[in-house]
Amino acid sequence: MKQPSISSAPSTAIEKIVAFIDTRVGLKEIQAKMLNEPVPGGSRWAYVFGSILLFIFAMQALTGALLMFYYVPTTDHAYASTQYIIHEVDYGWFLLGYHFWGSSAMVVCVIAHMSQVFLWGAYKPPRELLWLVGLALFGIVIGFGFTGYLLPWDQRAYWATTVGVEMVDKVPLLGDFLARFLKGGPTPGQMTLSRFFVIHVMILPAALMALAGLHLFLFRVAAPAGPFTGTPEEIKAKTDYFFPRQIWKDIVGMAAVFATICSLAFWEPVVLLEEATPDPGEYHPEPEWYFLFYFQLLRLKIFAGEFGQFLGAVALPVLFMILLIALPFFDKDPERNIFKRPIALISWIVLMAVMVVFTVSAVINREFLD
Amino acid sequence: MQQPKLKSKVRCTDRDIGEVTKVVLDPLSHEISHIVVSMNGSGERQVAMGHVLAVLDDLVELRAPSSDIAALPPFKRDDYVTTHEVEISHLEDNLHVMPGEVLVPFPALEKDVKRRTFFMNFTHVIGFLIGLPMAYPILRFLMKPMYMPFDNDWFKVGNVSKIKQDDIGVQFQYKKTVKEVYMPESEVEKSVWILKASPEVLDKVYQGKDQEFRDASGRVIWTNKKDFPYIAFSGKCPHLGCAFKWRQHKTLGQVFLCPCHLSIYDAAGKVLDGPAPRALDALPIRISANGEVEIVDMEFKAGVKNQIRII
Amino acid sequence: MASERESMSPTKVGFGVLWPACWTGLPIKLVFALLAFAMGMMHFEGRLGIAFLMLLASPVTVLAMPIIVMGLGSHFGEGLGLPLLFLLSIPIDIWALDVVGRTFLLERFRKEPPGGLGFTLWWKSALAGAFFLPIMWFLVSVVTETAVSTSHSLAQAEALRGLFGTGLPISERIGLEVTLWGTIASMVLIVLLTIGVSTVGRIVRDIAAVAPPAPGDYQAVITRWDLMRVPGDQGLFLTGVTGTGVLMCLLFWAVLPVTTPHPHECCTKPEVKVQAPFKPFKPIEALTRNEQQIGELAAQVEALEQQKAGAQGEKEKGKGKADGGTTANAPAEMKL
Repeated sequence: MKQPSISSAPSTAIEKIVAFIDTRVGLKEIQAKMLNEPVPGGSRWAYVFGSILLFIFAMQALTGALLMFYYVPTTDHAYASTQYIIHEVDYGWFLLGYHFWGSSAMVVCVIAHMSQVFLWGAYKPPRELLWLVGLALFGIVIGFGFTGYLLPWDQRAYWATTVGVEMVDKVPLLGDFLARFLKGGPTPGQMTLSRFFVIHVMILPAALMALAGLHLFLFRVAAPAGPFTGTPEEIKAKTDYFFPRQIWKDIVGMAAVFATICSLAFWEPVVLLEEATPDPGEYHPEPEWYFLFYFQLLRLKIFAGEFGQFLGAVALPVLFMILLIALPFFDKDPERNIFKRPIALISWIVLMAVMVVFTVSAVINREFLD
Repeated sequence: MQQPKLKSKVRCTDRDIGEVTKVVLDPLSHEISHIVVSMNGSGERQVAMGHVLAVLDDLVELRAPSSDIAALPPFKRDDYVTTHEVEISHLEDNLHVMPGEVLVPFPALEKDVKRRTFFMNFTHVIGFLIGLPMAYPILRFLMKPMYMPFDNDWFKVGNVSKIKQDDIGVQFQYKKTVKEVYMPESEVEKSVWILKASPEVLDKVYQGKDQEFRDASGRVIWTNKKDFPYIAFSGKCPHLGCAFKWRQHKTLGQVFLCPCHLSIYDAAGKVLDGPAPRALDALPIRISANGEVEIVDMEFKAGVKNQIRII
Repeated sequence: MASERESMSPTKVGFGVLWPACWTGLPIKLVFALLAFAMGMMHFEGRLGIAFLMLLASPVTVLAMPIIVMGLGSHFGEGLGLPLLFLLSIPIDIWALDVVGRTFLLERFRKEPPGGLGFTLWWKSALAGAFFLPIMWFLVSVVTETAVSTSHSLAQAEALRGLFGTGLPISERIGLEVTLWGTIASMVLIVLLTIGVSTVGRIVRDIAAVAPPAPGDYQAVITRWDLMRVPGDQGLFLTGVTGTGVLMCLLFWAVLPVTTPHPHECCTKPEVKVQAPFKPFKPIEALTRNEQQIGELAAQVEALEQQKAGAQGEKEKGKGKADGGTTANAPAEMKL
């Protein structure tokens, strides 16, 4: 590798082009300000999840756009066009499989990213706004998963959506309005499919891009929080710039996620059930795997009856979201070492354990449904 | 002349009057327009650069005596904003008025240039290797419907009894059932021109050779015999694909006339006038025992001299 | 910091080496795993998660896996892919353990890493794993099975029947069971894993104990392990990686199935229809044939008329002829 030239006159063609752009745009200064951000304590693998999420979103947008070349969002063609993609179009099964497993990967990485931020205490002041925008992004990711699931219009899609929208109906006062808004009518049909399609393909991507931009800006303004242990001497000794080391770690993480999603597309290719009908027949409705824990939770008897349903479908998630939103405002203790924050650590472990236990229970419960 | 530096001493012709406390830039020319002098605490004065005789490293010499400078109106700070409070592009590009620099330590790990270039290049390599596996499947995915196999089915278009006269173009309209990928079957209307040719016209069309039609692999699937008196012309003009008509022309007689760009063909399909690059395209034709005319609906690339089949 | 060095527990050491080493090797193993999937060489059933974890932890599982498969009869799936991957993991893990081990020794122990550290760490931990993991597998399986059946019967206990009338509702029962056996099995697993990790930690600590101290202050040591990751000949390395990557990509394209490897019944391709043979229209022949037909038909009509006249005559001549006159003409065959 040649050392970069220290003479001021640009010699090669590329250097001349760069110099041309630089005098007009301030390219070198922009590059320096964007890339030479010191990461206190050095670049870390634990920090890659944010960039990985951006990568997954880009891949979902790409594969999603490709799927739209053949998918038709009408009740008479949605199923047939999806089957066409899977069975007829060259490598259609692979691209659809990538899109399908990419959405699961996105949910997993969102949980990983939120957990990393929580465990590192990087939601505490002055990063409250960053946390709030992140929660909004989390909501958008869940929205993507929910709206996209309906599009193939098979039994699984139709019934998971029906149940999900019925939950929205349980919101007091606004519930009926919201449910009808989402369904585009009193019952699910073509209007539901059209609305879910436009939300999935235009509204949510635009919202995500805008909020992700804001999230990145707030992150740069607040500066990376860095590790929660280490003396100033240790932290300074290991500090390096965002570019190239952290970017390199980010891209290795992206490559690993890419390979994982492709492998999943091979291991479990997308297989549709029968086309959606208003009669579920032998099929037992189920949501996507990452909602299974909640699905199982709602089967408990304490959530039975009208009040119970309200409690489970509305009160519980809303209270949980309020807790998350309020978190940086009541937890202002500057201590960020997770091993010195026992309440935080135990709450996180309990939450993860509950999600795992109830997901496993949902799977076991399938055998008892007849 | 050097730029005056902040904190430099300011000297009039007679004595020193203070230091440079501020520097004012012209927002259009981006040049220094004034310096602000401290006047040793008795009220700052704004001095135009025109008054400056010379600038040395830590000294600004003025042309005027101190009394002239003191007579200038006092400096009004409220009439100005700092360069951080306003966005003027390229304003500070050539500004060097700070005495000294404001520095932050350069991380030890970043000092190695080889390390930096390695990780930059390695990142590019990995990025390239992530994108590459998708390129071919995506290309094939998008290209799937682009090249369709030829449709060699025969279609009934009507009865030959419709043709009453020789060498007159008769338009036969027929319905074709189409099934496009996952769409349900639908019917489209197409038309074809059939002509019962007299021996002279027949000779002009075939020029002594039977006309062979091939499929994609080059195998002959049908031959129009040169003595078979019925000819079918594709309803699409070989110029740019418009549907043409059979009309009486004022000088050329009864001809095929395309209304889009006025290509004119005779009964044998040969170009008489207009931008058409080749003669009308003949289609395979056969007539069954009870007079049902059948054709193979082929289409050819428009606007080229050679006849290239597309479907 | 010196005190931290001396007092680092073997578990902390073991985790500090194993955790990064596993993740360091993973991206490279994933690429080969992806190729194996594309080539159809790997088929997992439900044990994907466990197989994946074992691949991840392959510094210690590579020798243990065959023992577990054969001895304890665990079936991960079909295909050559997984055994091949474990074989490929050996050089990958040796390299990963070398990088991580050297980093750890330099930064945390401030010791000079000995040569061949990666290989030493690999064979020692593989050996340890070969003994320890089958035991752990067996123990965890036994405990889990026992816990599952115990919690199952507990959940259906008479006492609860008393509380809830007909017994716990199904979802509550499942939740309770999973929590019970899940907790017990997890505890046992965590304890055993900690023992295993701390064993590896002891191995590392023993190596560090006999190693000479590393020169330089903290910054020097950090810079040293950081620069260790930059290859001597960058051009060669990067060209090599790009070339290998491109080759693997080409192989991937060649083996990637064009249509889904899991077709479902809905969409079988329709049968190719055979066209009926065609008879062409030849006008001259048709005309002559028609003339012939007309001639024949005319002859038949005449014959019939004659017959009719004859029959009538006979009838008039003499009724009651039992045989009923001439037999009807066989109709002339109409050839078309």
